[in-house]
Amino acid sequence: MKTDICVIGGGAGGLAAALSSNDDGVSVLLVEREGHLGGILNQCIHNGFGLEVFKEELTGPEYAERFIKEFEAKKIPHLLNTTVIDIRKTKDFLIDVSNEANGLFTIEAKAVILATGCYERTRGGISIPGDRPRGVMPAGSAQRYLNIDGHLVGKNIFILGSGDIGLIMARRMTLEGAHVHGVAEIMPYSNGLTRNIVQCLHDFDIPLYLSHTVTDIKGKDILESVTIQEVDSEFHPIGGTEKTFEVDALLLSVGLLPDVHMFESIPFEKSQETKSAVVNQFCETSIEGLFVCGNALHVHDLVDWVTKESQKAGHFAKQFVKNPVRGKSNLKPVETGGFVRVVVPQKIDFGQMENPFELSFRVSKKMEEGILRIEQNGKTVREKRYKHLAPAEMESIRIDPSFLSGDHPIRLIVEEVVK
Amino acid sequence: MVDTLIIGGGIVGTCIARELSRYEGTVLIVEKENDVANHQTIANSAIIHSGHDPIPKTLKARLCVEGNAMYELMEQQLHIPILRTGAYVVATTSEEEEILKVLLERSIENGVLGATLLDAKQARVLEPNLSLQTQKVLSLPSTKVTFPWEVAIRAMQNAIRNGAEFRKNTQVSSIRKIDNGFEVATTNGEIILAKHVVNAAGVYSGVVAGMIEKNVPYTITPRRGEYFVLDRRVKGFVQHVLYPVPTKAGKGVLVVPQTHGNILLGPTSTHQEEPERVGTTREGLDYIRKQAVKLAENIPFDQIIRSFSGIRATSTAEDFYIKESNEVKGFFHAGGIDSPGLTAAPAIAKCMVEEVMGGSISLRKKTYFDPIEPEKKAFHDLPDDEKKALLRRDPRYGNIVCKCEKITEAEVIEAIHGPLGSDTIKGIKKRARVGSGICQGGYCEETLLKIIARETKKRLDEINYYALNTPILIEETKVKR
Repeated sequence: MKTDICVIGGGAGGLAAALSSNDDGVSVLLVEREGHLGGILNQCIHNGFGLEVFKEELTGPEYAERFIKEFEAKKIPHLLNTTVIDIRKTKDFLIDVSNEANGLFTIEAKAVILATGCYERTRGGISIPGDRPRGVMPAGSAQRYLNIDGHLVGKNIFILGSGDIGLIMARRMTLEGAHVHGVAEIMPYSNGLTRNIVQCLHDFDIPLYLSHTVTDIKGKDILESVTIQEVDSEFHPIGGTEKTFEVDALLLSVGLLPDVHMFESIPFEKSQETKSAVVNQFCETSIEGLFVCGNALHVHDLVDWVTKESQKAGHFAKQFVKNPVRGKSNLKPVETGGFVRVVVPQKIDFGQMENPFELSFRVSKKMEEGILRIEQNGKTVREKRYKHLAPAEMESIRIDPSFLSGDHPIRLIVEEVVK
Repeated sequence: MVDTLIIGGGIVGTCIARELSRYEGTVLIVEKENDVANHQTIANSAIIHSGHDPIPKTLKARLCVEGNAMYELMEQQLHIPILRTGAYVVATTSEEEEILKVLLERSIENGVLGATLLDAKQARVLEPNLSLQTQKVLSLPSTKVTFPWEVAIRAMQNAIRNGAEFRKNTQVSSIRKIDNGFEVATTNGEIILAKHVVNAAGVYSGVVAGMIEKNVPYTITPRRGEYFVLDRRVKGFVQHVLYPVPTKAGKGVLVVPQTHGNILLGPTSTHQEEPERVGTTREGLDYIRKQAVKLAENIPFDQIIRSFSGIRATSTAEDFYIKESNEVKGFFHAGGIDSPGLTAAPAIAKCMVEEVMGGSISLRKKTYFDPIEPEKKAFHDLPDDEKKALLRRDPRYGNIVCKCEKITEAEVIEAIHGPLGSDTIKGIKKRARVGSGICQGGYCEETLLKIIARETKKRLDEINYYALNTPILIEETKVKR
């Protein structure tokens, strides 16, 4: 099987990437693991999707449906129920896939877009101590069991982590008749969107325990109780602050991790900060022609941003296929300073520079007011003030390359403005 | 009436069942849990120790060295995974160097082959991440690693192949001596009549013995050991099992490469009153982090995917207790089997059957015993032509259920319907490794649940996580009640 561009993943990112790359005689083939397109949007039956892309508030399935319709109308070739096992690179990419209908086979492509989304950090990943009974699971799994399969995983619930999935599930479980005893968040601030704190916790009188974490889990076969404790500024539990809740399910909303680790034969450079690929401003990895976008690249707050980033990745992959001979690359790193925790892209290719590009970043500290500076060679080339900055909220800034020189790294610095 | 009833379906009970199935007579093995290999066998370091550690002339020393050698034949016959790692016992001070010399002498006395001292430079040639504090190591080339519950599962399957019977969810509640044997009652209300009883009840071996003996010769004082599991992508970080120099408290925190590429860090060793409480603790996990760094540099702690703890049937006898009861003829103890129980298990079984039981009752070998369990490799580890052949036979090998570990639907179905099949999430994880990767089942648990329900013709909310009455899904929504 041959194609110009192979898009891996048929969720929000993959659909947008396929739609924007499928033009002008460039062939696209999308591969999806599940039996339906739409990805994780299918289980996100709450609303709040699409405010930026469509200027209206849609549910997850509705948002997905708009792209699926367009995708189907354009008759873009795709394989459902098909899992990518590995990717190899010779001159072109060789994508080994597997499904029940055709067994094992290989797709040849000139470019690959990874739009594989993310997976949920697990109990094991954060080493919560205690017994290991039934009833401890990622919030997204509980969401799938409830919204797709129509089953509750518990009647008395505690939630660890105030990420958006945890907040949304606090409301969903309550609406389905479960009692949500509380949400604990290890940070002194919530990691979810403000609207979700208000609409999912406050409106239902669900307590939020900031600077608290789960320190014990009890139950031989079935979960019986969880104990939370307040933590100090170094996240160590404080003795004497224990609170125990008798619950039969503990849902974890403790972070999402880009899911790009399955492809073991393609050694693209990875970032410790994003746990995904290091990319340039075209969402292109250290391997020419391999692009990553959406939550597979870094976790976005809104699906609308996944869509926009993936449209760009699709566009750049198409450019790559049409003009495989490119100028000499001149990669310069984007360094971080001050309270910048993470930035994407991590590299800028000045050799291919034509248009303005965007830098997305997250800060490591909540600030009432902050100032962003972009420096090159010790000189500030751009400054921007922000009224409110928080680790839970991704920011992005558009950069005009005419301010920059290709001779030096770029440095992105955020400092707090204390009044 | 069965000839022999074995109480306990861990590595010891299943190996004894297999050994006994070489002989005439019926064998029944009962297990109180919903599967074999549920306590010590599923939560240990997975090491086939060389035998450098046990005190010479003890049963532990003898059966550890014998068991280590027997795993070579078990590998050929049962097709269990074996990783020939060798081991280094790492000394970081001159006092510890002195202890290494004692351990070397002990190894030689115990009959360990190939034990030798290496200086740090030699050791680091094969083990570049070895701690920079290393002064000398004791190299133990016969140390190996296996996949413990697969050994128990395949030993049990082989025993079944040779006529033994396995009954799960069957807990013994009392044992009474009757004229020609024993009357054994279970918590299900069953009465099992048996001519002989073998007690392989692990942490409960003392309790089971107390059902028939006034003065049980040992008391179990369980010890808990906690571990971290690192993702299989750390494969190659260390090649050898790394031990610290042992102390009175035990072998200490180890770094152990596993058969599927993962690395284990642990265990701790703490006294535990309740044998079923196998929770991890913050203190225990912190202790592992602090201790493991004494053995290796740059341990990839960010690759931790799981922590667990296991219980060990440490006994006051301070050695394995493998004997016929002093009080009741026909009742046989395999009591106080803690480390190196996994290593010794095949030798314990042979010792129990040939020496202990054989010395007391008449055992006659069957004319035909089939020692072989056919090889079963993970589909995605097979060469391409074998994969293609299997796909022609069953296209469900094309459907990946667990994408982290690349486990297919056909392999899941084999695990459900196999000779010692399971219908639980964790039972399938034990057999097919579904959910053993970085997402820990976050992606595939739902798919697996649906396949189990379909294959066993049950509703989704009847599928258990592990034990009976542990359904993942508890209440259907949007239905009239």
